[in-house]
Amino acid sequence: MSTTTANIFKNSQFQLFLLSALTLFLFKVFFGNSDSTTLIVILDLLIALTIFFLVLSIYNYFNKKDFTPLSFIMNVGILNAFIFFIISFADIIMSVLFDNVNERLNSPGLVYNFVSVLYILLIISFLAYVILALRQLHFFGQSKNLKVYFNTMLVFILLASASAHFSDSKEYSFISDTFFILSVLLILFNSVKISWIAFLVKKEKIYLLILSIVITVLFIINFSSNTGTNIHSQMLGTFSPALKQFTSITMLYGAIYFTMLFFTTLFHLPTAEAYDRKAEEVSSLQYFSKLITQVLDFNDLAETVTDITLRVCHADASWIIWKNKDDDEFVSIANKNIGFIDSGIINKFILSKSDWETFGETKFYQLKKNESSIKTEKNFNWIAVSPLKARGEIKGILAAARIEDRNFNNEDKKAIATFSDYASVSIENSRLLEESIEKERLEKELDVAREIQKKILPEKNPDYKGLEISSVFIPAFEVGGDYYDFFPISETKLGFVIADVSGKGISAAFIMAEVKGIFESLSKTIEQPKEILIKANQILINALDSKTFVSAAYGLIDLEKEKLFLARAGHCPVLLLRKESVEKIKPSGLGLGLSDTDYFEQTLDEMNVDLIENDTIVLYTDGITEAKNDSLDDFGENYFTEILVENNETSAHELAKRVIKEVTLFSKDHSQYDDITLVILKWKQKIKINGEKEWQNSAPQL
Amino acid sequence: MAEFSTAIIEKDNVSVINLKGYLDAHTAPALEENFTQLIDNKRFKIVVNFEELAYISSAGLGVFMAYIENIRENKGDIKLTTMSDKVYNIFDLLGFPLLYEIFKTEDEAINKFKESTN
Repeated sequence: MSTTTANIFKNSQFQLFLLSALTLFLFKVFFGNSDSTTLIVILDLLIALTIFFLVLSIYNYFNKKDFTPLSFIMNVGILNAFIFFIISFADIIMSVLFDNVNERLNSPGLVYNFVSVLYILLIISFLAYVILALRQLHFFGQSKNLKVYFNTMLVFILLASASAHFSDSKEYSFISDTFFILSVLLILFNSVKISWIAFLVKKEKIYLLILSIVITVLFIINFSSNTGTNIHSQMLGTFSPALKQFTSITMLYGAIYFTMLFFTTLFHLPTAEAYDRKAEEVSSLQYFSKLITQVLDFNDLAETVTDITLRVCHADASWIIWKNKDDDEFVSIANKNIGFIDSGIINKFILSKSDWETFGETKFYQLKKNESSIKTEKNFNWIAVSPLKARGEIKGILAAARIEDRNFNNEDKKAIATFSDYASVSIENSRLLEESIEKERLEKELDVAREIQKKILPEKNPDYKGLEISSVFIPAFEVGGDYYDFFPISETKLGFVIADVSGKGISAAFIMAEVKGIFESLSKTIEQPKEILIKANQILINALDSKTFVSAAYGLIDLEKEKLFLARAGHCPVLLLRKESVEKIKPSGLGLGLSDTDYFEQTLDEMNVDLIENDTIVLYTDGITEAKNDSLDDFGENYFTEILVENNETSAHELAKRVIKEVTLFSKDHSQYDDITLVILKWKQKIKINGEKEWQNSAPQL
Repeated sequence: MAEFSTAIIEKDNVSVINLKGYLDAHTAPALEENFTQLIDNKRFKIVVNFEELAYISSAGLGVFMAYIENIRENKGDIKLTTMSDKVYNIFDLLGFPLLYEIFKTEDEAINKFKESTN
């Protein structure tokens, strides 16, 4: 407080006021009460200047403090009472100070001049404050520019005051009267709409009712003492008739305004609470419901939020401060009526005032303060900021700004706080929606992956005389990357492959497609399983990233030579079911894409088996052996071979069916995590070298 | 699907990563992060302890392949220890014993590192 007082004296406008007051005093000493028109004009100009500079100084003081309408009214009341006492005691004091006051008025001495100038300054101070306070009240709660009306009224008041010099002459008194009447009409016009009362709570309205009646009475008393024959009226009149008229009109203005205020408050009183609630509800419902429909696109939502903020709290500009996910930079988005440079300047200011992480509630700042004035191109002054939270985390800050002297009132403050809450909910909704769209997109992606997989796998099993072929493939929800295929080389030779791509989903499906292409083309030129796998590794080591690989087993059945040739690249062993026993065919070999060609070749073995009648070759992926029950036990190799042995008499088709049934039963309480692939080849009969073929069974289809 | 966690312990200038739970496509990024962190800190002597690992999928195996080249270029290695039979089986199928040194105990793996530096 003491620093602001000190600042007032340092203020150049206050110094100018003191200077003009001093000039006024000197003028009175040298020229006294002259009748010269020039001197009267100069005197009036001096008085006008003094009032003007004082108004400016007080205006600056107003801007530094957060005044409410009620505090203005209280101050006006106190000043009125003070002036009332001054006027009442003026007679006594003056008669004590000077022997013959009436004589002094006509022939003033140095002392009298000094006293009268002091007295005049006192009156001027009062007038300046009242005029300014009325001006502030006039602009309170007004959403749009009403300066024109107010300034017109001021001009007419000044004209009416200036023309007071003519009021004595019979010829020209109509000028003064006309201006006076016009001023009063304008005062009436400016006093009818007192909108800020609506924003007061009931208690404040009652308080205002009492205050306004007291102040009205004080204004009327002070006004009437102005026109009487007391010392006050005479001193003013001899000092300057224009000032006296100005004082009268100001008092009248006060009286009219506060009478209006009294009645307006009176009318507002019965409906005060209900009105408040209704107004709030209506505007809230209208604006907030708009948000709910705007959650589809985040940018649209942000635009709507700032757009509504602008209207809800009568701001001149609005925008959102958003933390960029990529570089943690603070950026302005959805700017309304404000450039990015200005919003950047204000963002910096706001973030310097409060910590982003702990930004809890709505806050208000003033940019234009004496010590550290923040200058923006558009001259913003008042800032309101409110956090936008989602799941308790601060996502952004909603900001609103006002230009010049219109501070946010309580209603605006409440509005922005409430609105930011609603906006937060909308932003959270928009995020949830985005998540569910993302989820849907992933599901679609998996649909595509399963579709690819279906197309890659053979449509039907090849027909070979004397060889039963059965295959089962059950995809997991997340495509597991299983692949099997047959490559008929000749009537007596069949190549086959089973493979499993590491990883899942669409990327696994694409690698499967690539693997199919590789094996399909290699099988056309190469017969030996070992050679095919070496070439496949050579291609895949360059095609796959370092953490992706493919396990595979490639086999060749030569029905003429009654032989099975098999090479294995990291895949599950191939099982040979012969009578009551199961033999694991597990030649050494690294997964495809794990190691360079030389080492891969060095470690890769090929095995061959002489087949006898009813030999069954079982190919599978780990989806079978790693199928789980609800206590997370594996189906396991042992159980698998048990089932195979138990059913060794049946056809390939029946055997596959039984295995799948057991796997399904075993894992019925646990979701299928990986693809399941089972391929069974059962050799029924040898092919005669002379080309005459006999057969018992044709290969059944699954 | 299920829980997975890792813990890194420094022993005789060797970083031991303990694995626990289920290592599959969904939990593999946690282990990848561990490897990236060790490589960033120039810790290239790494032992991975599988004692408490219940399951490893092919995507889990891929993690080891992703970093081994870089680590070996920096004269380091990844050595694997204390696998359950089930986990060893999965490694064995793919031929990992041909690519990695696999030990019965953690100490053996650490000693192997010591020998090579002496």
